[in-house]
Amino acid sequence: MSARLTYADATVGYPGVTVVRGATLGVPGGEVVGLIGPNGAGKSTLLRAVTGTARVTGGSITLAGQPLAAIGPRERARIVGVVPQAVSATFAFSAREFVLLGRHPHLGRLQHVGPTDISLAERVMERTDTLRLADEPVDTLSGGDLQRLALAQALAQEPSVLLLDEATSHLDLNHRLQVLDLVRDLADSGLAVLAVFHDLDLAARFSDRLGVVANGALGPVGPPADVLTAPLLSRVFGVRAVVGTDPVTGSVAVTPVLREGAVTGERCGRVLVIGGSGTAAGLLRRLHLAGYEVGAAALNRGDVDQAVAETLALERVDLPAFGEVDSAAERAVARMASEADAVVVCEVPFGRANLGNLRAIAGAAAKTVFVGEFGAEREFSGGDATALVDQLRDAGALTVVDTERAVAEIDRLTSPECSPRSDR
Amino acid sequence: MPVPTRARRATVIVVLLAVLAFSMLVAIGFGAVSVGPGDISRAISRAIAGEARAAGDAVIVDLRLPRVILAALVGACLASAGVLYQALFRNPLADPYILGMSAGAGLGAVIALTATASATALRFGVVPAGAFVGAVLTIVLVVRLASLRGALDVTSLLLAGVAISYVLAALTSFVMVFFRESMASVVFWMMGGLTAASWPYVFMVAPMLAAGLTMPMSSTRELNLMLLGEERAGELGVDVERFKRLLLAAGALLVAAAVSVSGLIGFVGLMTPHMVRLIIGPDHRLLLPASAIGGAIVMVLADLVARTVLAPVEIPVGIVTALIGGPFFIWLLVRRDGHR
Repeated sequence: MSARLTYADATVGYPGVTVVRGATLGVPGGEVVGLIGPNGAGKSTLLRAVTGTARVTGGSITLAGQPLAAIGPRERARIVGVVPQAVSATFAFSAREFVLLGRHPHLGRLQHVGPTDISLAERVMERTDTLRLADEPVDTLSGGDLQRLALAQALAQEPSVLLLDEATSHLDLNHRLQVLDLVRDLADSGLAVLAVFHDLDLAARFSDRLGVVANGALGPVGPPADVLTAPLLSRVFGVRAVVGTDPVTGSVAVTPVLREGAVTGERCGRVLVIGGSGTAAGLLRRLHLAGYEVGAAALNRGDVDQAVAETLALERVDLPAFGEVDSAAERAVARMASEADAVVVCEVPFGRANLGNLRAIAGAAAKTVFVGEFGAEREFSGGDATALVDQLRDAGALTVVDTERAVAEIDRLTSPECSPRSDR
Repeated sequence: MPVPTRARRATVIVVLLAVLAFSMLVAIGFGAVSVGPGDISRAISRAIAGEARAAGDAVIVDLRLPRVILAALVGACLASAGVLYQALFRNPLADPYILGMSAGAGLGAVIALTATASATALRFGVVPAGAFVGAVLTIVLVVRLASLRGALDVTSLLLAGVAISYVLAALTSFVMVFFRESMASVVFWMMGGLTAASWPYVFMVAPMLAAGLTMPMSSTRELNLMLLGEERAGELGVDVERFKRLLLAAGALLVAAAVSVSGLIGFVGLMTPHMVRLIIGPDHRLLLPASAIGGAIVMVLADLVARTVLAPVEIPVGIVTALIGGPFFIWLLVRRDGHR
C-alpha cells in the first residue's frame, strides 16, 4: 500500500534552526503511526512541516504522491486535517459555526456554507460528542470541549490524512479514550493518521507503529512492542522503566521507576529485601534512592518486584517464572543475608515455592525486620513458614506494622557513618 | 447564536441602512440654516434633473450633502479598516493608529499639503496620493521591521507600529514648523475635520472605499479563519502570508482615503466594529458590511455634533470622536478579560 503521507529523508525546522534531520516515514491509509519522544525533540515540528508552519529544508515530504511544494494551501487542507495541541477561542462563534470553518477549503470564493455542509458538520459533531454544544459560544467552553470541537473541525475538512499533535492531552479520561477510539475507527475505515503522543501507554495502545523522535532524528519506526523497550526509554527519556504488558488491553505498558541520574541519598549499608507479587517494589525503589546497596531475595521472572529489581539493576536472585527457590538459590540468598546489615521480609505470603527465602535468612535473625504480622492469610506452606518466622522472632527478629517503620529500623540497623564504599 | 441566515443578514443590513439614511437626513437638515426633509428631497431632485435651482438649494446641494456623504464615506473607511486590523491581529484593541498607518498617511498628506500650498486644485490628486504612499510606506516599513526575526508575528508588528508612529509624528511636526505659513490649516486638518468637504472629495473617496472593500468582502471566510490564529488558519487552507499582505494593502487604501480628506480621526475604527460585534457576533460576512455602515452612521452624527454644538464655531470632528472614544477605549481596557 502506498503511503498517503511520506517523509523521505526530510529535514525540517524553522528559519535558522534545524529541528529534525533526515526523517523517513510513510503513513498509509488505515494506519495510526505514533510519534513519541522527549519534549522539544521535534515531534510537533515534523507535523507542522506538513502544513507549512515549519519548513522542509532537505529531503522531501509528499502528500498523496505530490510533493508539498506543488500543493496550494486550500488543496492541502482538503487532504490534511490537523488537531492542534491547544485550541484558543477568544471570539463568540457558536460551536457549529466553529466546526463549519473547517469547510473552508471545500468552498469557492463567493460560496458559503450550505445545507450539506451543515449536515456534515453536525454528523462529525455527533461523532465527537459535541453536537449538544452546537449553539454555545465557543469562548465559554472548556479546553476539553474545544479540543473535541477542533477534532470535529478537522473532520469537517474531510481529510484523508489526520495529524494529531498531543490532541488528547487536555481531555479527561473518558473523552480521551472516546476520541482515540474514534480516531482508531477512522483509521480502520481508511484514514491515515500520524499522531504525536505524550502518554507512552496510549501511544502503544492506539498506534500500529511507533517512531521515536530524539536528538534531532526520527528513529526506526516499528510495532510498539519492538520500539518501546527499557534500553530505549533509558536512552531517550532518561528513565528506567518497567516495560510490561497491560493485563487488560494486552498492549505495551510502561511504568517509570527511576529517572537516570536521580540523586541518591547518603545512606550506607547493605539491605536484603524478601518480597514478591509487588509487596517489595516500593521499598526496593525507596531504599535504592536512599543510597543503600539493596539486594533482592529470589524472585520469579515476570513478577513485578523482579522487574523493578532488574530495572534498578539490583543484586538479586532470579528464578524462572513459576520456579521454586531451589537449593542453589537458597545458598545465594543466604550469602546475601550474611553480608547484609539488615534484612526485610515484606508482607508476602509464603508457600512451598518461596519458603527457601525464609530458610536462607535463618542465621540473620538479629538484623531481620518483618513487615506486618505473619497470619494465616500468608501461610500457604502447611505451617512450615509460621514455624520459621517464630524461630526468627525468638532469635531477635523484629516485627513492625508498616514499611515506614521498617525503614526506620533499617536506618537504625545500618551504621550512620560511611566506611569507604565498595564500587556500586 | 444560530447560523446567520440570509434573512437575518438582510434584516441587519436594511435596518442599519435605514438608520444611516435617517441620520444623513437629520444631518443635512441641521446647521446655520435649518431645512426640512421636503426641501432636501426637492433640492436633490432638482439637482439630479438639472433643473434651475431654487433659493437655498446651494446650501443643501453644494455644502451639506457633500459633507454628510463624505462623513459617511470616511466613517465607513475607518470602521472597515478597524475590522480588518482587528481580524488580522486577533485583537479588539487594534486599529490603523496603533500600526502607525494613520501617522504615515498623515505625514504623506502633510508633505503633499505643504508642497502644493499655493495650488489648491492639485490637492485633490496629490494629498490622497501622498496619504496612500505614506500609509503604504509605513506599513511596508513596519512589516519589514517586524519580520526581521523571521515570520511576521503580531507582537513585533504592533511594537514596530508604535515605534514608527512616534518617529512619524515627530517628522510631521518638523514639516509643520518648517512651513509656518500653512500651519494653522494643517493643524486644524490634523485634528480631524470635514470643513473642506465638497463633491470632488466625495468622488475621490468613494472609489477608494469601494476598492478597499472589494478584497475583504470576497474573503470573509478567511477573515473568520484568521480569528483562530495564523497557524490554524494556515492548517485550514488560508495562504496566510499572502492574505495578510492583501489585507494590509486594502487597509492602507481605506486609511489613506479617510486621512487625506479628514485628517486624523481616532476611535471610529476601534469603537464601531467592537459595538457591532457585540450585537451581531464575529462572522465577518455580516460584521464587515455592518461595521462599514455603522461607521458611516457614527461619523455622520459626530460631524453633526461638531458642526452644531458650538455653532457658529465649528470644532474638529476628531475632538468629538475622541471625547466619545477615549472613555470607550478605557472601558474596553477595564473589561479586557471578558473581551470577545
